[in-house]
Amino acid sequence: MDARWARSSLLAIALALSACGVGSKSAVNKNQTVLTFSGSALGAEGTLVAKQLKRFTQLHPEIRVDLQRTPDDANQRHQLYVQWLNARVGNPDILQLDVIWTPEFAAAGWVLPLQRFGPSPADFFPATIEANTWAGKLYALPWFADVGLLYRRTDLVPNEPRDLTELVTDAHTTMARPGGPRYGIVWQGARYEGLITTFVEYLGAFGGRILDERGQVVVNRPEAVKALQFMRDELYRTHVAPLDVLTWHEEEARFAFQNGNATFMRNWPYAYEPMSDKKQSRVAGKYTVSPMPAAGNGVGHSTAALGGAQLAINAYSESPDAAYRLIAYLTAPAQMLERAQAVGQYPTRPAMYDDPRLDSALVIPLDQARRAIESATPRPVTPIYTELSEILQIELHRALVGQAEPQEALNSAASKINVLIDRTGMRKLMSGGTQ
Amino acid sequence: MRSEARLGWYLVAPALGVIALIAIFPLGWTVWESVHLHELRMPWLGKPFVGLGNYAELARDPRFWASLGHTAFFTVVSITLELFLGLFLALAMNRAFRGRGFVRAAVLVPWAIPTVVAALLWRFMFESQGGIVNALLVDAGVLRQPLVWFIEASTAWVPVILADVWKTTPFVALLLLAGLQNIDLVLYEAAAVDGANAWWQLRHITLPLLKPAILVTLIFRTLDGFRVFDLIYVLTGGGPGTSTEPVALYTFNALLQNLRFGYGSALSVVIFAITFGLALLYVKGLGVRLGGEER
Repeated sequence: MDARWARSSLLAIALALSACGVGSKSAVNKNQTVLTFSGSALGAEGTLVAKQLKRFTQLHPEIRVDLQRTPDDANQRHQLYVQWLNARVGNPDILQLDVIWTPEFAAAGWVLPLQRFGPSPADFFPATIEANTWAGKLYALPWFADVGLLYRRTDLVPNEPRDLTELVTDAHTTMARPGGPRYGIVWQGARYEGLITTFVEYLGAFGGRILDERGQVVVNRPEAVKALQFMRDELYRTHVAPLDVLTWHEEEARFAFQNGNATFMRNWPYAYEPMSDKKQSRVAGKYTVSPMPAAGNGVGHSTAALGGAQLAINAYSESPDAAYRLIAYLTAPAQMLERAQAVGQYPTRPAMYDDPRLDSALVIPLDQARRAIESATPRPVTPIYTELSEILQIELHRALVGQAEPQEALNSAASKINVLIDRTGMRKLMSGGTQ
Repeated sequence: MRSEARLGWYLVAPALGVIALIAIFPLGWTVWESVHLHELRMPWLGKPFVGLGNYAELARDPRFWASLGHTAFFTVVSITLELFLGLFLALAMNRAFRGRGFVRAAVLVPWAIPTVVAALLWRFMFESQGGIVNALLVDAGVLRQPLVWFIEASTAWVPVILADVWKTTPFVALLLLAGLQNIDLVLYEAAAVDGANAWWQLRHITLPLLKPAILVTLIFRTLDGFRVFDLIYVLTGGGPGTSTEPVALYTFNALLQNLRFGYGSALSVVIFAITFGLALLYVKGLGVRLGGEER
């Protein structure tokens, strides 16, 4: 607590000194609207946010913005927000939401619907808007996107696999080669949120879903069983994935790929840059990315899990109009471009992907990034996502470690999710919401 | 006399107040929460009184019963091992030898390491096919090929229990050593004169006289074992599936991850009741023994 105070007061002093007058004026002006912005603000990201907030206040001298640092860890930030909002605190005015929180906050009445401020959702990738829409209303604007990618060793497999069957064949061929990598493909299979993102991609590849558009549980349908069976086969039948992945998160997968031990890897864009460093990576210059392929034979479609951050307005905020102005400013193309240049995060506006400046700002081949974001699917958009995800994590993991058969595990998941839906009154909420 | 009694009450009042504030009030609040439906994430449900609804849900929840089973399993196995190893260590340290002070201090090192750090250490050793444990076991010919320890319930328990035994045996040994040092050496001399061998001395002098120390150790360790959280949280996260999930981890999950205050409080109340019951049982047992030996 003390350290935070000390840090924020140091920051305040620094800001006051560098702002030369802006800072001292703000203390006096009583007509100013004061906004509090919260979000992860570590290192380069913090510098960038501070810079953009300062620019915003120069454009809008009637608004003062305070930066409230929140934990970088998503779970901790979530817990903090929930505590504040339960206490109906109006600060911070602007919340940084993870892609899976928006429906929860919306259904709880903690964030404001944005229609009345006149947003233009058509400017953003459809999946990012879908993730921020609950009961037909938009509650947050996508700030930056994160997306699941298939990393591939170009020296071993020059051409992108057309479908999952070809991916397994390629994996086999490279593993059989003398001196070839030990593993065909590595992904995130530990019992945590990452397992859901991996599963969502295989699930989409086979044309399955977790919830359908009416919110019915369809995770035990044949397509989903096939997808889970495919993941299991990778471990136990085709042996292209090592059993170790069942304990792996993003970083373990990256280490395996970076040490040259895997032909393919499912991971997020963040892994691209560190692996291009020759000093720590054995695969520098020998890999590229593409979206995860579909299952093949006309089944399903190429699917990427969607991640990223959104900005929403606290429902108890005293100045929602000013808050929206700030959100609109931060999600404008200029700020998104600057964000891509400074911290390598992906804009949520498709139009920007034609901009050569974005191409030079981002390390990942831009066309591939765009294809992946276009094939992105949000995880189930529901206020009960966190508990739904926990149920699914457990059942998927049980099936993958061999404690249950895929059909059995998914049936169990479906019945537990249905119990959850009943217990939380979601059916009423869903039908009431869509009317 | 009466005014003295009153003065006494005045004097203990602050202490009682503190106890009420830090023990009784939160406990009462938890009980109150446990009879309400209170989901911090779902304000649309309100906060209705549901009586024993949460407890009924808990009784029907297979994950709760499984976690209770895991906790009992962990507690019994790790304490049994710790008690045997600890007794062995204590007997060894009780002998006079050069450098005894140094050894006694050195033995305590694992106990001094924070649990989370110890757990990370053990995870590191067991993790991955190239981990040190796999390498050693394959070299020694015990395993034909490296194991992925954390994907099967039976093997996932191994690092968990080893880590706990490694960390806590020194503590057990120290408690028992204190007990050993209270035993009058004259008894052994007399027994030796009567021709009793070492084994006979252990069975008929050391162990009976060590009983109070053993019981104290058991109380501490059972209550600790029942609350096991950090070790498993770091080592297995309760997995594979939920095969190593102890009841404290399940409660943490319901209360702090899912923010189900009502249900989570019901879980907490049940844990409280069980540990309280165990403590009562032990204290009673201990009291009787102590009384018996004080003659």
